[in-house]
Order: sequence, then structure tokens, then C-alpha cells
Amino acid sequence: MDVSLGALLILLVPLAGILAAIYLMVALIRRRRP
Amino acid sequence: MDAEALVHDYLGRLDFAAGSLPPSRRAELAGEVRQHIEMALAEAGARDEVTVRNVLERLGPPDEIIAAEHGSDASSPGWANVAAVPAAARGSGWGAVEIVAILLLTLGAVWLPIIGPLLGLIFVWASARWTNRQKLIATGIVLVLAVLPVILLLGLQSGSTP
Repeated sequence: MDVSLGALLILLVPLAGILAAIYLMVALIRRRRP
Repeated sequence: MDAEALVHDYLGRLDFAAGSLPPSRRAELAGEVRQHIEMALAEAGARDEVTVRNVLERLGPPDEIIAAEHGSDASSPGWANVAAVPAAARGSGWGAVEIVAILLLTLGAVWLPIIGPLLGLIFVWASARWTNRQKLIATGIVLVLAVLPVILLLGLQSGSTP
């Protein structure tokens, strides 16, 4: 369980941050008004 | 009429013109316009009546802003006029807060697991360039993907230990 928890932390935390960051970056880029 | 009263009057007319928009978008738009005014005034380096009048004139009438919101006005109103908007607010809208937020969400997640993304979310919510909906979605992504599984697993782990 310790190993899987550690692996989950290592994988999911950066993944979550990166996904949120990509979403926000796209939102900012698309925010340009005509 | 003093400078602050001019801004107040302008925002009041904007709010009136925005009557057809949903309340959340109305409040958001008012915040965005106020921020643009503040940034333009900061860039101008003065807050006297003439400067404020110039800034508001470049933004254009509130009706035009609302028309642009509805997408009915293809011509670019003063609101979208590049000259009216300071450098930090135009283009893709990158500012220091946004850059720090993105760095904390990405690199911060590796260097400071859990804390990094949570700090990043604080910066995301501090930014005026993302809408509340976008902030909520980003928060949801982080919470659902990172925090909740960890909490669940920790709960399972503590429950399974004798």
C-alpha cells in the first residue's frame, strides 16, 4: 500500500497540476478578444 | 465631476447596459472593466479628470462593450482596442500572477507535491484574467485528480492498519 500510495502521489499530483495548467493556458490564449 | 465619480458613473452605466447578461457575467465584466481602467490609469501615471475621461473614451461607450459581449458587434469597440488596454492586459493576458500560478501548478507540483498545486490555485484565484468558471474547473481538476485519491487512500490505509 505504501508503494502504491507513493506511486499515486508521484503520478497524479504533477499530472493534475499540469492538466490544470494546460487548461488555464489555453483559456488565457483563447481569451483574446476580436 | 471628480475622477473617481467619473469611473463610478461609467461602471454604473455599464451595469445598467448589462441588464441582459447573467448576473455572474455582469459582475465579472464590471470587474474586468474596472481592472482595465485601473491599469490604464496606472500606465498613464495620473488620475486627474482629463486622464480618466481619456481612458473612458478609449474604452468606448458601455453599450458597445455589452454589444461586443453579445457578439452582435463585429467591429472592435474601444473595450477591445489595443491602444486602450495596457500591455499587461492585452494579448494573451499573461501577467506575473498568471505565470507564477502556472509554474506552481506544473513545476511546483513536482518540487512541492500537494503544496505546490494548492499554492498555484491560490494564485489562480487571485488572478483577474481567468473567469470564475475557469478557476473552478482548474480547481476541480487538481482536487479530483490529486487531492481526493490521496485522501481516500490515506483513509483506506489507516482503516486497514490494526
